[in-house]
Amino acid sequence: MSRVARRLLARWEIVLVLAIIGAGIWSTTLSPYFLKRGNLLDLVTPYVFIGLMAFGLTFVVIAGEIDISVVSTLAVSVVCFAQIFDSGVDVWLAGLAALAVATALGLGNGLLVGLLNLPSLAITLGTLAAYGGLAFVVLGGEGVASFPNGYTQIGGGYLWRNQLPVALLVLLGFALLLGLLLHATRFGRYVFTIGSNREAARFSGVPVARVRVSVFALSGLLAGIGGVVYVGYFGSARADAGTGSLLDVVTAVVLGGVDIFGGAGSMLGVLLALILVAELRNGMQLANIAGETQDIVIGALLLGAILAGNLLRAAQADGALSGRLRPRRREVVDHEAADSALPPSLET
Amino acid sequence: MIGNARRMSAQEMAAATFRLREIGIASALGLAIVFFSIRASHFLTVGNWQNILQNVSIVVVVAVGEMVVVLTRNIDLSVGSIVGLSAYLTAATFVHHHGYPIFVVALIAVGIGVGLGLVNGLLVAVGRIPSIIATLATLAIYRGIDTQITGGENITAYQLPNRFLKLASTKPGGVPTLAWIALAVALLGAAVLRWAPWARDFYAIGSNPDAARFAGIPTTRRLITAFMISGGLAGLGGFLFAARFPTVDAVAAKGFELDVITAVVIGGVNVFGGSGSVLGVVLGALFVATIQDGFILLRISEFWRLFFNGFAIVVAVTLNALLTRRLQDALRRRKADVLEARHREAEA
Amino acid sequence: MSSLIELHGISKSYGGVQAVSEVSFGIEKASVHALVGENGAGKSTLVKILTGVIQPDEGRLLIDGEPHRIGDPQTAHRLGIVAMYQEPTVFPDLTVAENVFAGRQPRGSLHAVDWGAMRLEAMRILDELGAEFGPDTPVLGLGVADRQLLEIAKALSSSARVLIMDEPTAALSPHEVERLFATVRGLQERGVAVVYISHRLEEVAAIADVVTVLRDGRHIETKPAAELPQGEIIRLMVGRSLDALFPKEDAEIGDVVLRAEGLTRRGVFSNVSFELRRGEIVGLAGFVGSGRTEVARSIFGIDPLEGGELWIDGRPFRPRSPRAALRRGLAYLPEDRLHQGLVQPMSVGTNVSMAVLPELTPGGILRPRRERALARRFMEQLRIKATSPAQVVRSLSGGNQQKVVLGKWLAAEPRILLLDEPTHGVDVGTKADVHREISHLATQGLTILLISSELPEVLGMSDRILVMREGRLVAELPRAEATQERVIQAAAGFGEAA
Repeated sequence: MSRVARRLLARWEIVLVLAIIGAGIWSTTLSPYFLKRGNLLDLVTPYVFIGLMAFGLTFVVIAGEIDISVVSTLAVSVVCFAQIFDSGVDVWLAGLAALAVATALGLGNGLLVGLLNLPSLAITLGTLAAYGGLAFVVLGGEGVASFPNGYTQIGGGYLWRNQLPVALLVLLGFALLLGLLLHATRFGRYVFTIGSNREAARFSGVPVARVRVSVFALSGLLAGIGGVVYVGYFGSARADAGTGSLLDVVTAVVLGGVDIFGGAGSMLGVLLALILVAELRNGMQLANIAGETQDIVIGALLLGAILAGNLLRAAQADGALSGRLRPRRREVVDHEAADSALPPSLET
Repeated sequence: MIGNARRMSAQEMAAATFRLREIGIASALGLAIVFFSIRASHFLTVGNWQNILQNVSIVVVVAVGEMVVVLTRNIDLSVGSIVGLSAYLTAATFVHHHGYPIFVVALIAVGIGVGLGLVNGLLVAVGRIPSIIATLATLAIYRGIDTQITGGENITAYQLPNRFLKLASTKPGGVPTLAWIALAVALLGAAVLRWAPWARDFYAIGSNPDAARFAGIPTTRRLITAFMISGGLAGLGGFLFAARFPTVDAVAAKGFELDVITAVVIGGVNVFGGSGSVLGVVLGALFVATIQDGFILLRISEFWRLFFNGFAIVVAVTLNALLTRRLQDALRRRKADVLEARHREAEA
Repeated sequence: MSSLIELHGISKSYGGVQAVSEVSFGIEKASVHALVGENGAGKSTLVKILTGVIQPDEGRLLIDGEPHRIGDPQTAHRLGIVAMYQEPTVFPDLTVAENVFAGRQPRGSLHAVDWGAMRLEAMRILDELGAEFGPDTPVLGLGVADRQLLEIAKALSSSARVLIMDEPTAALSPHEVERLFATVRGLQERGVAVVYISHRLEEVAAIADVVTVLRDGRHIETKPAAELPQGEIIRLMVGRSLDALFPKEDAEIGDVVLRAEGLTRRGVFSNVSFELRRGEIVGLAGFVGSGRTEVARSIFGIDPLEGGELWIDGRPFRPRSPRAALRRGLAYLPEDRLHQGLVQPMSVGTNVSMAVLPELTPGGILRPRRERALARRFMEQLRIKATSPAQVVRSLSGGNQQKVVLGKWLAAEPRILLLDEPTHGVDVGTKADVHREISHLATQGLTILLISSELPEVLGMSDRILVMREGRLVAELPRAEATQERVIQAAAGFGEAA
């Protein structure tokens, strides 16, 4: 393979683009309907809310943590939105209120993990259930199905001669905005630094606690926006909205090249990965493959992405110094021990 | 003299911590029972308790397996899907081979679970995929396989042999058969964890993975075994599930993993691994089942249960972390006193 | 009859720095063999080689007269070589007995764990060692002294032949030290050789049969302890002439810039008081465990300060966080530069700008051009050899990495620089560059607290030397009066009533 090609392939985003094209070809063989412009443009529309959650999760993972409660936060946002609107409040205000609630939920996670330094996996596992239950408590078992037309435009409407889905614009807009936040601002730089080496960041005056709390609040906010978009698209609200989408959210993040151990990743990658996931699901749908069966493919994709990443890292580390420090689990901080010969393997 | 007394308290504190978990959950359970006996009229009836035991049995069986995985500092989210898949295959086996002895079918179910667990173990121990991601993926993949196999249909009670269904309806000595089975599993699990040398390794691996490797423990092999046990017990759980809920379809046991993990976490198993007891897990499962039952009797919306599970996990994790930190602080203070004493002696 | 362990011509270098060079000596069976030397003398490296953590570049190791290659810790274990560090390696969630027998529990019938036998055997060993805790004690509740005993118990139960103890008495009370000594003698009687690494020379005198002195990675002397009085040991440890390696310029020393009074952190340091003046380079000397780094960390807001007060330019200062310290003009270069001072996967530019990002990013937007310019400025000033500011720090040499860390802090334009072992593990060329820079900074009016275990460096660079021992400030020596012997004596407590 030529050097240029090898260097290009070294960028994960390029690999994703190739995969998108490849998946497109595969989908076309499954059903020629795939290539119709309407279908292509509408590809991501049902997945915008997943994309928004993935964008939020990206910040959290790059910062070295995880947040699996996003799908429940989305559900709470959905039901709050519905209930508040149902009680007569203007739809836009109701939406805003839902966002506020979702951000508060994210903040809750943030305070427990970022401030109290509790393990993010266990905590967000708990809040996944707690927030999920909260959604049911707020709405009960039935759904609300009457939303004003202007509103459903956001999720389901089209612009420009009824061709361009609003949802797509929403997705791209947020991708751009959040991409800038992640890659072009001081805050984003802090996120990368903390995820890469939390201690060095702290020693350098980075406001570690503040940033960590913020990424969870941001994740909650985006899940909340996802919920509002969700209602726009589906035109109705259910308390179990979004359950089952955790797989796609995590896959989009991991497949998008975000290092699960923190410190690396790109918003563009996550966007492309989301498009790839949407494309695959769309193709499988056209081929009449059931939703749960599609999950097998997506699950395998998630596993494959990580395995590939591990293989790549093992190949790189050949000859180089000992690999990156894993995130600390137990804090045994005795820097004086650096003077007495602790075996490197004990650097947890 | 004073030094000795202080040393006692730090040691006593640690020993107390070990027992505190079980005492804590037992007290919580006791409180719950007292609370519901007062507030709910039918709480203390035999019938109600038989109901609770029926509900808790399957959770206990699977939770013992989950506990083994958590001991090693990992998690297995796929147990719900394994239970569902195993339940369907159990039922399907009976449908196609009506004459098979119950024991044989049970073994088949366990075997299926072990196989699925083996996949998990390989992904985590060899593929080095973080267990949260790996089992999130297999949760979806196994559920997808389940959907494929069921093909949208379900198996009903009429298709299953009576002797099998009796497992869930008979109550020898007033205690449901399922509960006897769960008890047997719990006792066997406790015995193995206490006396099998390879099982003691799980504790070491979770307590200090590097030190475990250094001590010559074959961590990769042990991790795979842990996941196989979790899978196997989930398989057995599926077998029992089919007996209890004989209308088996593709969504059987969906979300079941949350009940299991709640029982494990509340039962005092440290999410960082290294400590936990079967007794604690049983108490934890009983606690969750008691609350659920009490909620139903008090006509509290079932939706609060999900919230409660999550809330309990967050509280349990927080308390555990704070307790450990308290202990470490006490140790440091003791070291300070020692150094002070040393100085005073030197200057005297 | 051959020695238990023989080292022949062992050499090891890390990235251009010669850690040990042609070290040869023997360790006899059932002897208590003390290994002394300053920090950086090569003791840690030798221990790592003996325990299989690293391999020597040259030289041979003979065990019982047979050459061996100790390729990994497991091999060392099998050969009976066990090491015990200041922070013992334990399984905190398990009991003492389980810790001792982890991975090799005694079996009973049906191959099951024989808890009874395990407890009994553990109790037997613990009794022999005079431990005051039992086999069922959860290790979580044990202090460092007891954990050390636990490690010794573990070593005994696995038939160790050589037990290496690295600074074992750092956290022990006098009573516990006595107990440890009794244990060591007991080990001797059982035929176990003990390699005793310590800077507490009075302890070395009390317990060791043989003393090996290392200096600058070279073997200086191995003699029976009876033939090496403490004064002689000190002379061998430091005996080198101070050459003009440190071009210290004269700086104008101004007003007091930082004043510390009664700084205390329980269990770590107590009642530390000193002053720093503008343009001054103040050396802070002392051995491992003396609390120097901790004082700096507490001043910089990394660890909490439990007592005492600080003033900067006469105004009170509460070090709430590194950010707060930064804003008052403090900067801290950590000891473990490569891990605590740098983010390895990131570029030179990113690392250099890390502490000053708020200034470089008006409106919160990153300005890559400004970052690059800043990085280039320091690359030139400190002679950092990198292809560009975009080069990833991980791929730089150790010395250049050190310079990047220094550059990061200089970029923050601090007024008080706390340097923790700035040239530890650094090659001679880089060392000179760093010293030149430090000296230059002082002439520019910066105040520098130089924490260093390298005596020539401390003596050559400092206007004043503060010496700490076991958490207390025990001496203050002006440049004119400071000699290597006086510093070590203060640091080791030699000559004081025990």
